Amino acid sequence: MTSPILLLVPILFPLLGALVLPLFHFESRNKRQIYVGTIVVLNTIFTYLLLWYGPSEGITLIKLTSDFSIGLKIDGLSKVFAGLVAALWPFATLFAFEYMTHEKRENYFFSFYTGTFGVTVGIAFSANIATLYLFYELLTLITLPLVMHSMNEKSIKAGITYIAYSVGGAAMAFIGIVMIMTYGTGADFVFGGVLDLAKIGDKSNLVLLGYVFAFFGFGVKTAVFPFYKWLPMAGVAPTPVTALLHAVAVVKSGAFAIMRVTYYCFGADFLRDTWAQYVVMTAVLITILFGSSMALKEQHLKRRLAYSTISNLSYILFGVVLMSPAGLVGGLTHMIFHGVMKIALFFCVGAVMFKTHKEYVYEIEGFGRKMPFVFSIFTIAAIALVGVPPLTGFISKWNLAYAAVETGKVLPAIGVFVLLLSALLTAMYLLTISVRAFFPAKGFDETKLAHVEDPRWYMTVPLGVFTVAIIVFGIHSAPLVEFFTRIANGL
Amino acid sequence: MNRNLLLLLPMILPILAGLIVFFAKPMKNRKTRNWFVGSFLILNLLVTALLLCGPAVRVELFDLMKGIPVLFKLDGVGRIYTALLAIMWTFSGFFAFEYMKHEGNEHRYFGFFLVALGALNGVAYAGNLVTFYLCYETMTLVSMPMVLHSLNKEAIKAGFKYLFYSFFGASLGLLGIFYMFQYTTTIEFMGGGTLDLAKLAGHESFFLVIVFLSIIGFGAKAGMFPLHGWLPTAHPVAPAPASAVLSGVIVKAGVVGMIRVVFYIVGADFLRGTWVQTAWMSLALLTVFMGSMLAYKEQVFKKRLAYSTVSQVSYVVFGLSLLNADGVLGGMEHIVFHSFIKNGLFLTAGAIIYKTGKTKVSELKGIGKEMPIAMWCYTICSLALIGIPPTCGFISKWYLAVGSLQSGMTFFSWFGPIVLLVSALLTAGYLLPITINGFFPGADYDYSKLEKKEPNKFMTIPLILLATGSVVLGMFPNAFASFIQTIIETIM
Repeated sequence: MTSPILLLVPILFPLLGALVLPLFHFESRNKRQIYVGTIVVLNTIFTYLLLWYGPSEGITLIKLTSDFSIGLKIDGLSKVFAGLVAALWPFATLFAFEYMTHEKRENYFFSFYTGTFGVTVGIAFSANIATLYLFYELLTLITLPLVMHSMNEKSIKAGITYIAYSVGGAAMAFIGIVMIMTYGTGADFVFGGVLDLAKIGDKSNLVLLGYVFAFFGFGVKTAVFPFYKWLPMAGVAPTPVTALLHAVAVVKSGAFAIMRVTYYCFGADFLRDTWAQYVVMTAVLITILFGSSMALKEQHLKRRLAYSTISNLSYILFGVVLMSPAGLVGGLTHMIFHGVMKIALFFCVGAVMFKTHKEYVYEIEGFGRKMPFVFSIFTIAAIALVGVPPLTGFISKWNLAYAAVETGKVLPAIGVFVLLLSALLTAMYLLTISVRAFFPAKGFDETKLAHVEDPRWYMTVPLGVFTVAIIVFGIHSAPLVEFFTRIANGL
Repeated sequence: MNRNLLLLLPMILPILAGLIVFFAKPMKNRKTRNWFVGSFLILNLLVTALLLCGPAVRVELFDLMKGIPVLFKLDGVGRIYTALLAIMWTFSGFFAFEYMKHEGNEHRYFGFFLVALGALNGVAYAGNLVTFYLCYETMTLVSMPMVLHSLNKEAIKAGFKYLFYSFFGASLGLLGIFYMFQYTTTIEFMGGGTLDLAKLAGHESFFLVIVFLSIIGFGAKAGMFPLHGWLPTAHPVAPAPASAVLSGVIVKAGVVGMIRVVFYIVGADFLRGTWVQTAWMSLALLTVFMGSMLAYKEQVFKKRLAYSTVSQVSYVVFGLSLLNADGVLGGMEHIVFHSFIKNGLFLTAGAIIYKTGKTKVSELKGIGKEMPIAMWCYTICSLALIGIPPTCGFISKWYLAVGSLQSGMTFFSWFGPIVLLVSALLTAGYLLPITINGFFPGADYDYSKLEKKEPNKFMTIPLILLATGSVVLGMFPNAFASFIQTIIETIM
């Protein structure tokens, strides 16, 4: 039996590693890469060991008041999020090693990049809403320097926008948290919610309002309409940041927090069929279509993917706000699969930017011929994201739609239609890129692209691994989905 | 030989062969490639024939999701479609050996051409809705490069139009699949449908809307109004042998989709007499008329043929929408007959473009003097499409009219045949003038400039076989009709 104090390790270890990294004054790039790589890989291994063999009971670190404490605990939902993050981090780091050779101040960068790992695991392991909130704020702070990394006017502006939105969102979420504190039992996360119905009495509308605040507050990080603005702007960050943080770790912390708030604080039963559900679901559906439409309009590669992320994060939220076990399964499925697909897409774009410094859709004509590996993977990931079977995107789309159909209600049915419409838009904004890359228009001069080539293994290995995951989990999703089903039924 | 494996071969082999053509170095050589593709197409014919000789097969590969396997099985509809694929691909493939010489990038064309065959065979064998959707989307993706082939602005635009219309259609189909999963006992295709009426109770009217939407969705591929817009854009810009299979066979994947949804999942009984049947039939008849009308007005030869496809595939759809034995019989026959005819017509257009570079109808004066064999085949196919006995078009239209009159619907029972008749007249109006002007160019035609431009045997033999086929199928219709009747018995 392992001691619950071990839960602190995967949180503190990368943070400490990050903290001392600047002290070493790494002269050679190689040494720093070994140092960072070791920390990240060890932490991933340790996280997975904990997920498998870890303690089932939690630990309370600090008890501030009777119903306000800081504690850690692993449950099913933690496993999903921590598992996703820990699986992706080493590959993203490998990619970053190569990518960051073009950017300056690598010591700084890797210090914050590695530290974020710890904070994200902290979010996953949080045992109650107060702890979650603490790590959530910490995440904003530690990722800010990453957004502003290049320190030009644009990135500083993006950083300020990011911090303004995040802090504002957290403040909104706090209202919801207060509501949970006031009308809850003060317990740690429990599937089904911690509300004390006796305390609520006839004030259920007030509590629901609290939920709406919490949803939109945490929703800022998942870029729910109308709080999306920061995410496309944050695309100025180096691609490893955009790929790992703004497609997975940071934005999905928002989704994770909303899952916690919905199913483990307020409880799905309390929220189902209320006006609050309709409000948030409407916002989610608007976001899905809005994100996809904006992605279609956007010509900058990374910003297009950022808008796509906005849309896809709301797929997850759509599943969550269905307020049913099947919905949560759909949301979890898409949380994992979108993570893999989007990071693959971002890395492809990153590889293009790294090799050629081209950033716009119309600049990549014919690149598929010169970078066949990168663009084949881009195409596979794109087709997956559109939702063509037997790739992962189809599985999540199916689970989401299944959950929506199962409710038999009108708004979810509209939601199914919105999902399909958005899939069509996804095909438009992604496959046009593939076609342009592989099928340049007549009269295209291949000699102009003499310097364009596939990147080396630092970049291709992560891409290859993600692609294998996209295909394997698409074909064989049953065990994973079964695991989600157990979580979503509170087991 | 293991029959389970045999069922998978027509899907796996073409995909492998396509990849070889695409990536193997020796395939850059035209002669080697033509030998390879040619012998592969013959092999595929043999494998398909072997498969068709045997009894039904059912292969469950693996569970894609819990309780949803990737399932392939060979039933009557699948047999017809896969036979059609094997035959048409062979004709078009051999024709393309010569035709693609002037298009360039031949190995890319033949690569996708073969991969698309594999995906389409998947459409034919798919045993449940999800497998069908899988093959359907794959088929769209791999057939798009054939539309893109020439890579000029027009072609790229047309390729995207094809892709997005198809995806939108498939999305509507998928919407249907989501709900059908909910309201049926199984999503495996079973003759007569698998509706779970107990689960459905109370949701019938909503479910009808969903069924209608998915019919429209699959109608996108079949060129049915209102999602027909891509067809007249995409088919003419593809190289002629590709337009031939697009128009002749690939559009019918949409029809197969409709057959699967209506007769194998929802069941004809559920739809008969509902507003869905009426609306579906109205759309089909509207498309029949509209397609013919647009074809009549169109001056670009291949585009005229594409509009003709819009019209003719909706004959099939009309037959299905009648939901009675004779109507469905006529419809299913027309799937095959139209394939022969339209392949023949498009390949003629291709031969003319290849030999003379002429694309407009008005330029084709005297073409019959220059290319008599091709134009004779064209004429025979035209007569078949109009429906003049003893050609095959007559047979299918006969059953369509009979089915319509027997349907017992007050308005459509007589309105349907009238639309078919008017459309037949228009068909004559848009096809025959080319023959007439071709063979009788008029007094002012300059015979001194006449030179024989007959294409070589790679082009003429497929044309002759297709023309012969469209007559022979009409003269000996019974064997095929009775085979379709056995299918109809299982689904009605």
